[in-house]
Amino acid sequence: MVQAGSKKSSVSKINTKAGISSLIIFVVLLLAWIAGFSSRLFAVIRFESIIHEFDPWFNYRATAYMVKHGFYNFLNWFDERAWYPLGRIVGGTVYPGLMLTSGSIHYILHLLHINVHIRDVCVFLAPVFSGLTAISTYFLTKELWSAGAGLFAACFIAIVPGYISRSVAGSYDNEGIAIFALQFTYFLWIKSVKTGSVFWAVAASLSYFYMVSAWGGYVFIINLIPLHVFVLLLMGRYSNRLFTSYTTFYILGLIFSMQIPFVGFQPIRTSEHMAAGGVFALLFAVGVLKYMQSMMSKSEFKSLVVFGGLISAAVVFLGVVLLTYAGYVAPWSGRFYSLWDTGYAKIHIPIIASVSEHQPTTWFSFFFDLHILVATFPAGLWYTIKNINDERVFVVLYALSAVYFAGVMVRLMLTLTPVVCILSGIAFSGLLELFLREDDSSRGEDSEEEEQSTPSKRLYDKAGKVPKMKHEQSRDTDNIGPNLRSIVTVVILLLLMLFAVHCTWVTSNAYSSPSIVLASYGSDGTRQILDDFREAYFWLSQNTADDARIMSWWDYGYQIAGMANRTTLVDNNTWNNSHIALVGKAMSSNESAAYEIMTALDVDYVLVIFGGVIGYSGDDINKFLWMVRIAEGEHPKDIRESDYFTEHGEFRVDAEGSPTLLNCLMYKLSYYRFGELKLDYRSPAGFDRTRNAVIGHKDFQLTYLEEAYTTEHWLVRVYRVKKPDEFNRPRIPIANRIVKSSNYITKKNIKRKKGTIKNKPLVVKGKRLSSKQ
Amino acid sequence: MAQITTVLSKFYNEYKTRTPKRLKAIDAYLFYILLTGITQFIYCLLVGTFPFNSFLSGFISSVSCFVLAVCLRLQVNPENKTQFNGISPERGFADFIFAHIVLHLVVMNFIG
Amino acid sequence: MLKLNLFLLFLVGVNAGEQINSYLIYKNVDRSIDLTSQLVKITSTITLENAGKDPIKNFLVVDEPKSDGKVVYRGVKDSAKQDLNLLPVQVDGSDNKFHKVVLRQNLEPGRTATVVLEEIIAKGLAPYPSSISQKEKQLVRYFGNHYIYTPYTVAKQKTDVVLSSRSVENYTKLKPVTQSDNTITYGPYTDIKPYTEDQLVVHFENNAPFLTVTRLERVIEISHWGNVAIEEQIEIKHTGAKLKGPFSRYDYQRDTSSSHHSIKSYTTVLPATAHSIYYRDSNGNISTSSVKHRKDWIELELRPRFPLFGGWQSSYTLGYSVPSYQYLYRTPEGQNVLSMRFIDHVFDDMFVEEATTSIVLPVGVSDVQLIVPYQVEKLQDDITYKYLDNMGRKVLRMRKNDLVEQHIQDLEITYSWQPQLLLHEPLLISLALFILFVAVIIWVRLDFSLGVPEHSKKE
Repeated sequence: MVQAGSKKSSVSKINTKAGISSLIIFVVLLLAWIAGFSSRLFAVIRFESIIHEFDPWFNYRATAYMVKHGFYNFLNWFDERAWYPLGRIVGGTVYPGLMLTSGSIHYILHLLHINVHIRDVCVFLAPVFSGLTAISTYFLTKELWSAGAGLFAACFIAIVPGYISRSVAGSYDNEGIAIFALQFTYFLWIKSVKTGSVFWAVAASLSYFYMVSAWGGYVFIINLIPLHVFVLLLMGRYSNRLFTSYTTFYILGLIFSMQIPFVGFQPIRTSEHMAAGGVFALLFAVGVLKYMQSMMSKSEFKSLVVFGGLISAAVVFLGVVLLTYAGYVAPWSGRFYSLWDTGYAKIHIPIIASVSEHQPTTWFSFFFDLHILVATFPAGLWYTIKNINDERVFVVLYALSAVYFAGVMVRLMLTLTPVVCILSGIAFSGLLELFLREDDSSRGEDSEEEEQSTPSKRLYDKAGKVPKMKHEQSRDTDNIGPNLRSIVTVVILLLLMLFAVHCTWVTSNAYSSPSIVLASYGSDGTRQILDDFREAYFWLSQNTADDARIMSWWDYGYQIAGMANRTTLVDNNTWNNSHIALVGKAMSSNESAAYEIMTALDVDYVLVIFGGVIGYSGDDINKFLWMVRIAEGEHPKDIRESDYFTEHGEFRVDAEGSPTLLNCLMYKLSYYRFGELKLDYRSPAGFDRTRNAVIGHKDFQLTYLEEAYTTEHWLVRVYRVKKPDEFNRPRIPIANRIVKSSNYITKKNIKRKKGTIKNKPLVVKGKRLSSKQ
Repeated sequence: MAQITTVLSKFYNEYKTRTPKRLKAIDAYLFYILLTGITQFIYCLLVGTFPFNSFLSGFISSVSCFVLAVCLRLQVNPENKTQFNGISPERGFADFIFAHIVLHLVVMNFIG
Repeated sequence: MLKLNLFLLFLVGVNAGEQINSYLIYKNVDRSIDLTSQLVKITSTITLENAGKDPIKNFLVVDEPKSDGKVVYRGVKDSAKQDLNLLPVQVDGSDNKFHKVVLRQNLEPGRTATVVLEEIIAKGLAPYPSSISQKEKQLVRYFGNHYIYTPYTVAKQKTDVVLSSRSVENYTKLKPVTQSDNTITYGPYTDIKPYTEDQLVVHFENNAPFLTVTRLERVIEISHWGNVAIEEQIEIKHTGAKLKGPFSRYDYQRDTSSSHHSIKSYTTVLPATAHSIYYRDSNGNISTSSVKHRKDWIELELRPRFPLFGGWQSSYTLGYSVPSYQYLYRTPEGQNVLSMRFIDHVFDDMFVEEATTSIVLPVGVSDVQLIVPYQVEKLQDDITYKYLDNMGRKVLRMRKNDLVEQHIQDLEITYSWQPQLLLHEPLLISLALFILFVAVIIWVRLDFSLGVPEHSKKE
């Protein structure tokens, strides 16, 4: 505010009107930033400053490595703690933009002696960047429509749940900064198309470079911008401005994108990038023809122009196809195919389909993530189509493609969100402009617009101000127009208020859980923190050998590496399907078959997630079918999905479950000694709260593994794989029994304390004990 | 065929008469860049593209020099003045220099 | 106390070649060996008698040469409970390590005096068997001496061995010996020659927490804004019998008996004024801890993330702040004095293998003097930069091995410092903000002045 004041005072001397409007813009953007930042802090306030979920743990680990060892060592980092025994060349397989960003922020802060831990930089990076996203959205919308719409859009994007879901504090992921880069690239692109300036085109390609370094979603840019150019060409809107901006952007962007080791030569080798090259060539052809036409100024060449254009397009297309067949250009990747054919992944690549965020989006989540913006954004689209120009073509294409992609994959909801915000901003701005037009006709157009949009903006920044603003506006309209105007205005404001309430609610309830710390609420409202994940990971880090190898399902690979600092077999960077399938096979085989796989892979510990005690649904048994499917994909002879279902085709863990399931490693590790546990007095022993069933196979022993650690709520169970000389012991069980018989007495002594229920199950318990020894 | 040759000769005459000197200088530069690009391409066809990044950076730098020069030519051309509102020839040249600095920094990094 | 340099100093110094006064005899020795915790605490009440003709100024205490553990603390008090100084000395013709105790008053011929010798031995209890399963009890063996090891003749001696439980596997039976409840009484024995050794072995159940702090790093940061921040990084290890075989959560949850060899939680005592307490590790906050405010201190019940079994280790960071008025004061000469504990309480009967204490002084101090309560190893001074420091802060660092509760003593740091330096950082910030605003103003103005040539360019 102080800064704004100083800016205001300096500006107002020169031009009061411009000063006030820029002050308002500044204040609104600042408030949007603050609102966006603070609404992302729920997780930090409720829990602590901690990295969330799975992928962020890898990013954090890589960042910490970079801060510690320097950038060049980071680029050459070979991580032998992942993908044992293969290892992973981290420098060549990550988008380093995220690490670089937070690393340089950390570096600058430390230059100023502001000693911030790198973890805090990582935690707060996404919320800070959300403010930058809001600002670049403002600029983009301003270029497309008007400053007022821009302010609307900036405020929308600051608090819209669809974006918050990926950028809460602690969710340290590529998307957090990539959306900023995306919006900023689009803004610079629009700017360069508008002016035809090489400078803006270079700036756009630099921003594109940042985007490439940050997120694989850059492919979206490099297809959308050529599409824009192509559509403009089709519409006959070719101009020299378009030529300069696109050619400069493309050629610089091409060479920039190849600087990222992970991207490498893909921009000239893969099909995803070919469209851009084709449009480049096409534009050149059109440019040359246009030039010739201008030189000759003969009407008959118009046909030649069109003809030449078509021929060159065909040549380029054929060239691409030929190159693809000849093997120079890689065909589209699996993830890309699944964008066109939603069923593709399920059939061919179960590993992609197993990730919940690659599932098709439901209508519910559209509304959940965007709320009223879903309804208003077609209105904005209509406005733009009605008043089409070069730039607006772009936003229309952006909207249409993003809607399609968001419908295909939940994850791509993220790319839809910004354009929805932009178009809704345009829609609201247009509406208010219509209904408040005659407010104050003496004022200039621009400042009027801002005046109208700002009060409502404040609305959802600070809900407390609502009544006052309403008054002000209704009074204004009363003087001039019919009551309808005031009613419409009030309804719009109410809608916006509801939107703000919804956003806060969604953020606080759905997107602010770190997922490594769980909270459960008791009946009296007290909160209990279940910290089992960190308990187990910390146990691993403290009490296992430094080079111990831990087998778990790939979801937990990054967390084990990040928090326990131990070697994992598979992790969330799912690049090697067969390795994952091997782990899946070990999990779904019986114990002795699994032991062979585990010794072949030098596994020391096995980690499973088991939610049966507390009713945690995201545990390994619930993910188990994916393990089976992935294993079946690679080892169809040994693993068959149908074996794990009952005759009726059900997946159940109780007594009716299929015997293969009840004897596989995952089942045994999850339920080892669970059959003895009585959770409360009403339910029988071995009652699984997640699946609401009494488990089917209770009394079993582990031959090749032993329980090494189980967390307080049994959420994480760690087993040690015995060395070959250790499990031979059960071969001489008689001797063992004699030795252990002394334990009977002490055990029974303990038992006696439980008195009341002792009598009846005495025989059963005795039996169980003897079978155990 | 004959029509095309007449068209081309006419085109050549038009060019000679109507193009300002400054643009002709740029066109000469363009022609030179085109030659370097073609030479590189032929070289790679004959010898192979072994250090692929070196070849690419060389080739792409020729292409982008060409592109940037074309952009400069378009912006400088007085005929296009209406289209490039607010971009003076000086501004265009400054942009051209700026783009070249950025480009060659990257090319140097990439040629490795 | 046994630091080599000090030892060498005395070797070449005046105290070289101490004699053993054979006229001094121990008239009566009452020894109590406390084995209830992980530490062995031997308290000997000794009645000294001067059987010679000359007054005696001092007497010697000697280290037992074949002792299992390590004497980490030794203190002598006289009958008025006043501490007597101990100095390491060398005795001609003996390899033993001697310590000289100077009496407060000379012991006249024929008179007696009573002193209390307190010795604490770490690692004197060896778990036997050395690894046990989860359900078994932890048994330990103590190897000691039936007699007090001394260069003097002992007229009469009695030893009480206090155990933590009644269940004793076996013990050496040097008559007369009686066992009642959890105490074994040896003696009285009479007329014991100097340096008599006879092995005493007790094998008994001890489920006390065998918890060792393997490393403790304590950082004390002084801020003249009225705050002293303390942060301790602690690595702990269960040094009792190792866990053999699996750990079963099911058995662990069912076993509700209070005495178990695993360690679920322990209590740390903090100063009563401590605030902003945090307890975390490399993975973030540890949510299982509770703070209890007592009258004169704060009790912090710390629960590690997981129960500690034999051989398991854990580490954490504990930090808090205390108001500086209690610890920092100014001398009349204008110097600042900080008196702060070298180490603080971690848990009862603690044993710290290695402790490093650093003191971060404010910006721009000079004339630093350090007074330590016992011999510590001084490490290289360091310079650190805290928030917005452009001048570094001096860090004093020191290290000491093998500490127990008796080492919780104050050290004093005296330094000179100008209070104006307090305003250094606020001024720096305001200056930076001012420059920023000026830059914005200039930039806004320049924007317009730049616009004019651009207009002319367009023409």
